[in-house]
Amino acid sequence: MTAIQEVVVAPAGPFLSKRMLIILGRCFFAVLLLWAWQWSADEFGMIFFAPPLAVLQRLYEMAISGEMLQHVWATLRVSAIGFVIALVAGLALPFALRLSHRLTEAVEPYVLWSQGIPKYALAPWLILWFGIGDTPKIVIVVLMVFYVIFITTFAGIRAVDRRLINMARILGANETVISREVIWKSMQPFFYSGLKVALPRAVGATIVGEFLVSTQGVGYYIEHARELSDTVGVFAGIVLATGLVLVINGIVEKMERIALAWRPQDREMSH
Amino acid sequence: MTEQTTPPFLEVRNLAKRFATRQGREPSPWVIRDLSFTVNEGEFLTLIGPSGSGKSTLLNMIAQVDVANSGEIVFGGDVIGVSDSKSLRPGLDRRIGYVTQDDNLLPWRTTLDNVLFPLEVQGRLDEKSRAHAETLIKAVGLSGYEKYYPHELSGGMRKRTSLIRTLVYDPPVILMDEPFAAVDAQTRIQLQEDLLRLWEMGRKTIIFVTHDIAEAIALGDRTLVLTKQPTRIASDHKIPFKRPRNVKDIFALEGFATVYETIRKEIQ
Repeated sequence: MTAIQEVVVAPAGPFLSKRMLIILGRCFFAVLLLWAWQWSADEFGMIFFAPPLAVLQRLYEMAISGEMLQHVWATLRVSAIGFVIALVAGLALPFALRLSHRLTEAVEPYVLWSQGIPKYALAPWLILWFGIGDTPKIVIVVLMVFYVIFITTFAGIRAVDRRLINMARILGANETVISREVIWKSMQPFFYSGLKVALPRAVGATIVGEFLVSTQGVGYYIEHARELSDTVGVFAGIVLATGLVLVINGIVEKMERIALAWRPQDREMSH
Repeated sequence: MTEQTTPPFLEVRNLAKRFATRQGREPSPWVIRDLSFTVNEGEFLTLIGPSGSGKSTLLNMIAQVDVANSGEIVFGGDVIGVSDSKSLRPGLDRRIGYVTQDDNLLPWRTTLDNVLFPLEVQGRLDEKSRAHAETLIKAVGLSGYEKYYPHELSGGMRKRTSLIRTLVYDPPVILMDEPFAAVDAQTRIQLQEDLLRLWEMGRKTIIFVTHDIAEAIALGDRTLVLTKQPTRIASDHKIPFKRPRNVKDIFALEGFATVYETIRKEIQ
């Protein structure tokens, strides 16, 4: 008991100053980045590079007018719907395939081959089918996200320690309980790795979809600004999209830290 | 002696096992062949054999997590074939418990939650069974560690957790596969004493595999010696020492050296 506490407490002294160094380093790079941005704006001119302050001001105006919320909401809505559909399918299919080895052999190559289709190439065809509402964008998001979730879930299921499954069977667990209590729990690290790749993809796919067909959303805002040669608007949209992805990633990382608290490495490396 | 007429509690009949042969190779040799033995109810049976004699494979087949090439198990009046992978029933409907060589604790569950796991999945978790689990945790000295994850426990503590995880749901037969092989000598003696004490409380039927002769004698009512591959039963020894036994003093008991020597000579 004491040994465990010692491990956690011992490095506290030098650890703190190391932490300060890291924060200082990060501030330094932030300033450097902003300076490079400003320098580029001065050097290349407003048409190609919008200065940071102008972008900040634009974001502020968007926020005040409610325009920001409207675009963010439109983008989030499409991303979220597509993401949830892909998540459910990407999780359910591998868990169903787990029950039949033969079915897995039959289905898996098709899933992997179809992954090779460039999804954005389908966009015109999807518009043909679904018109210019949310649906074609949602389909693109689903296609972009599904494979990530499917492949990480599959890998997670294959990596489960067979001995734990056997032990659970001996203890009287049925297949549902084994899926829930052994396989699902054991594949959490894979699941979160998948989420961290899939969520930015969902937002990215929505924005590309909005470039092609939309009347609102962050992607629409960027594309519309480009049409008006409004470089400040383009930059404001990019910053907005980046912020969106960062916030989502922050939430996922927080969830991951809570869900994986049992893992030894997460304890030792957490700040 | 008196129970010659009643059928044995559990019987293993003509078990045989060879692993699948890879294409283009010689057929793989028999790991186990014509292996038969019986266990009486409440008996502590120890199996001892040279390393590589298929001891784990044997227990895996009795626990039905591995398939045999032929043979059957007779238990509770049923003759159970174990040579068809489709009809295997791991743990035989919770009637055969298995303490494996590795502790196989679920790393995302705390000590308490690991011990409660079988009760949970069997739908038997209530006030009474929970209290029973807590009694067992106390009995093996794990009080205060209920909320620790397996990686925060010592090897001996993990062994105790895996042991009481099986005891908690009270299977009539418990298989143990060298459960104390991976811990230091001091801890091993403590674990053996814990096990004997818990066994005295309930007198389960135990089939305990080991490669340590002293352990086989200290714990068992009867010791079966296994041959080299293909594994069969070489001999059967009644262990004459009365219970309750003190594991620490087992070496000093009169007749220990004789039993030890006899068994040692039979292990090739």
